[in-house]
Amino acid sequence: MNFTEHVKIRNEKFGTVIFETLTEKIFITNETGARILGLIGQGRDLSQMVDELQKNYLANQEIEKDVTDFIDCLKENNFIAGESRQRK
Amino acid sequence: MNIEARTERSINSAIEENVTGLKTAIEGMSFEDYKAPLFVAWQINSECNLGCLHCCEEAGHSMPDEMNKEEVFNFLQQIADLNIPYVAFSGGEPLLHPYFFQMCEFLRRNNVSLKVETNGEFIDEQTAEKLGTLKFRSVQISLDGATAKTHEKLRLRGDWEKAVAACRYLIKEGVNTEIVFVPTKFNIHETGALIDFAYSLGAYGVYTGKMMRIGRAAKNWDILCPTDLEYEIFFAVLKEKIDLYKGKMKVYYYPYDVVEELRYRLESPSASVLVLPNGKVKLIGPLPFICGDLKKQTLAQVWEAYKKSWRNLEVIAFAKKVIADPKLLAKSNEWKQI
Repeated sequence: MNFTEHVKIRNEKFGTVIFETLTEKIFITNETGARILGLIGQGRDLSQMVDELQKNYLANQEIEKDVTDFIDCLKENNFIAGESRQRK
Repeated sequence: MNIEARTERSINSAIEENVTGLKTAIEGMSFEDYKAPLFVAWQINSECNLGCLHCCEEAGHSMPDEMNKEEVFNFLQQIADLNIPYVAFSGGEPLLHPYFFQMCEFLRRNNVSLKVETNGEFIDEQTAEKLGTLKFRSVQISLDGATAKTHEKLRLRGDWEKAVAACRYLIKEGVNTEIVFVPTKFNIHETGALIDFAYSLGAYGVYTGKMMRIGRAAKNWDILCPTDLEYEIFFAVLKEKIDLYKGKMKVYYYPYDVVEELRYRLESPSASVLVLPNGKVKLIGPLPFICGDLKKQTLAQVWEAYKKSWRNLEVIAFAKKVIADPKLLAKSNEWKQI
């Protein structure tokens, strides 16, 4: 799972902008979304992302569904491609 | 866990199916909130080998005060430093610019998405190969007809065969090739055939919309502008072709004319700037106002001036006059500093 070829990311004071320049679609996310984008950029899969987020600052929350939904949304809009490798 | 995600409208004019969501999609976000533009539309030169009857820029000869090499590369560096994600080069004919390839290489080296809008006549096999290595977002070629006769009637001194050959070379090199078609009285009857032809070439997409009443198009408006009935048929054909090529080739159209666009932009200016060959920065194509000068100011300074200019009472009043009387669009290239 990684960003598609024409995706650009920029931080703004109101959030993080993800811009798919081929379809010219813009997506804006908050700090948590930006953290996930960072993990996608590092090549982490879903399982690793969930572990990382729980470990660092969301230890008491069940977050896998939220992360999966977010990633699905990115996929639907062609921001990312490839397998997310869901946890069994 | 709160993962917020909102989809914004597309930055440029390429609207896909979600046109009705245009306004609601940008609620809560203003162009003034951005620290820098998201998109730079740069007319890098004014020189052109053609004399198209509908040219918005009235291109032909070079301007005497176009940006020199140092100014061009200074601006490119600022684009990279400000993390501008997306730039489009147009002209004139951009491939006639003496530093065209160096400019493209600079932006791609700095990971900026780049679109080039060209008439295609200077793209031979070798040039296409070179362009292919630069991994552009896309190259847009103007094809104003499905036949040479129609294309060349509108694009004076144009060569349809060369433009088509350019498409073939680019597609062979794996370049996303978009075909731009401007409907006029002369060619609107070939809309469907042009889209079919684009598909047969293997184009990434076809991009069209109502002709903009700017520049030479404004001067030739009466002989070029299709009738309401012709536009009605045009949009019906587009709808049919969008359905036909769904999932195979993108068929984009912008449903608004330039006045409707201006009305919308008055309320919601875009996070983009339009740079002229001489470094002046225009507020928007249909208005004559210049909000900055990249020969004298930094892009960051121009961006702040751009934001303020949209709130300028003179700009608002003139834009409303244009909306009421579209003939004033003919003055869009009579630049005025604000």
